[in-house]
Amino acid sequence: MTGSKIRSGMTRLVPYAFILPPMIYLMVFMFWPLARQMYMSLTNTRIINPNRGRFIGLGNYERLFDDPAFYLSLKATLVYAVLAVVFGVSLGVISALAIDRPFKGRAIVRAILLFGWAVPNVAASLIWLWMYNDRSGVFNRMTEFLGLGRFPWLTSTELALGSILAVTVWQVAPFVMLVVLAALQSVPHEVREAARIDGADELSTFRAVTLPHIRPAIQLASLLVCVWSIRRFDIIYLLTGGGPVGTTSTLVVKIRQTAFEGHELGMASAYGAVGLVLALAIAALHYAVEQRRMKWMSR
Amino acid sequence: MFKTLHRRKFLATAALGAALAVGTSGISHAQSGEKVTLKIANSQWLDALRGKNLWAAVQKYQAVAPNVTLEQEAIPSAEFADKLTTEMGAGQGPDIAIMQEGLFYAMADAGFLVDISKAAAGVTLNKTNDNGMIDGTRYGIAWQRAAYALIYNKPVLDAAGVKVPTTVEELIASSKAASAKTPGVIGFTARHQINDFSGWFMDFQNWAYGYGVNWIDKSGKLTINTPEAVAAVQAFKETYASGIIPIGDSMPTQRTRFKEKHVAFSIDNSGGTLNIASGGALPSLEIGAASMPFKNPGAHQQIFLGVSAHSKHPEEAIKFLSWLVSKPGQQALRDASGPDALATDVPVTDAFAAANPWAPAFAKLGETSRSTLIPGYEVETAQIMRFVMQAVEKVILSNADPKAALAEAQLAVDKQF
Repeated sequence: MTGSKIRSGMTRLVPYAFILPPMIYLMVFMFWPLARQMYMSLTNTRIINPNRGRFIGLGNYERLFDDPAFYLSLKATLVYAVLAVVFGVSLGVISALAIDRPFKGRAIVRAILLFGWAVPNVAASLIWLWMYNDRSGVFNRMTEFLGLGRFPWLTSTELALGSILAVTVWQVAPFVMLVVLAALQSVPHEVREAARIDGADELSTFRAVTLPHIRPAIQLASLLVCVWSIRRFDIIYLLTGGGPVGTTSTLVVKIRQTAFEGHELGMASAYGAVGLVLALAIAALHYAVEQRRMKWMSR
Repeated sequence: MFKTLHRRKFLATAALGAALAVGTSGISHAQSGEKVTLKIANSQWLDALRGKNLWAAVQKYQAVAPNVTLEQEAIPSAEFADKLTTEMGAGQGPDIAIMQEGLFYAMADAGFLVDISKAAAGVTLNKTNDNGMIDGTRYGIAWQRAAYALIYNKPVLDAAGVKVPTTVEELIASSKAASAKTPGVIGFTARHQINDFSGWFMDFQNWAYGYGVNWIDKSGKLTINTPEAVAAVQAFKETYASGIIPIGDSMPTQRTRFKEKHVAFSIDNSGGTLNIASGGALPSLEIGAASMPFKNPGAHQQIFLGVSAHSKHPEEAIKFLSWLVSKPGQQALRDASGPDALATDVPVTDAFAAANPWAPAFAKLGETSRSTLIPGYEVETAQIMRFVMQAVEKVILSNADPKAALAEAQLAVDKQF
């Protein structure tokens, strides 16, 4: 074999050598656990004996789809995720637009707005737990002062999901704000200026110039907020534990209950698989919309 | 060639020797006084005051066995079962676990605990150890048993001129009277939220047992929607709806409120009461304890010691347990445990009884109290009680009919068990 042939063979291998480390990482830390979880969902594995699970086919899924609590949990997850996106993204975009313009004290306002994102979830949940307290929480002090009486923020079936959503929005809106703010910096100043000279008002300038530039950022933020909401555990578990009457019992809360209370790791994996499918479906939808937009733009 | 063979022979002999040495060393090393570290997992290590005292008590063993170093694995109670289950499932974890009865059964059922009969040899264990025997093998020895009682703030009751209630109706009336007489005082504290499920279901067993509930019938079938259970849920609903409970407060917050003289009555166990009586504004002498306002005896929380099958030093761990159930070990534990019942009958000291007049009531109630676990379904109790507590939640929050809610729970239980 000549030297040039060896060199050409080596050159062909170089790209594979570059992608090998991330592939190994993905295989070990993503695909293998995922495959294991999917397999586990087809077994009767118990958490106290994880290696002694027996293959039971679709038994866990049969039980799952036969359980009314699963549909309640799925509904809670979807409602929570959709509302978190709607309110979290809207508030984030409004905040970004508000602090995009220069004004006195902008740095301070920006820091305050970022506070929710900076506080760890557990600490934030405990702070809100106190604020929601029926007897001594700040919200009920305020409502009592206003003559409205006390509200069972976390123990009422009507209010609990909304109360949790408020904490979630307070946490995710600053992230959306940051992403959208970064996108706003990329809007060419001259284009906005030209629109204004052409007589466009503020709203028209936003719709025709600003929005097309920040739309991809908003879409990405929406996707992330949605997937995070499907996966969110700490805030919900600490504030309501899935109650009252299952109104905040999302899929992840059910996973925890099934795995650690019932010790049924196989069944918990089936719940996890449903959550995974949900997240993948949302991601697929996002990319489909994105592809369509790209096609339309390239026309 | 010869050189290679000689070297191989030498290496093989050395390896065999090493293997034999390792194979027989596990126990003999420890017995021969080699340094051994025993890790003991307990959520109580994190308790204010009590944790420090309990740890000091067990550390006395190091004076008897200088080759043993005891090490804490302190896990918050809310995460204890999850963490220990995960650790043990992965073949790791502490040498000795101090765990609630439900978790103890799950661990024994999974084969994670070793036979510790030797630890109890020659010792008269009391009935708190009965559930430590599973299928004729001793897997657990009682660490503490904490019975429940109705506790109250004596000065608040005196100010309101109310007596200790003996029925739920009286409890509601007395609580309201106490709150009315002393502004800022909460009538009654009790767990009442599903986000504190494991604590709530154990506390709720007092109401259930108090109304005569047996969660199984004579044939061993699970019976959830009995008239007794309906009455217990109805009584809890009336108490909840009366406004005497501080809705939304966690149990630690409720205990702190009691400690700070802001509560008239509570249903709590002896461990919780010791916590309330220690280091707060309310002196222990001003706390009273009595039977709960139900017709039948209530429940107790039982904590067991078990030795892990994954321990590298099971013999040393069993020796530690032998010391713990001996007179010096029990006395050391008694001094740190307050009024909780221990593995052997060690009475509280006169000084403790004089300083804590509420303590004897717990000892008396502990004679008739029942386990929070469902006989025959010890491992599944939490799962079964999840259905029951969801029914209770529906009744108190959605105004559902107790009978209908429990019938629904019965259906769910029948389907799964």
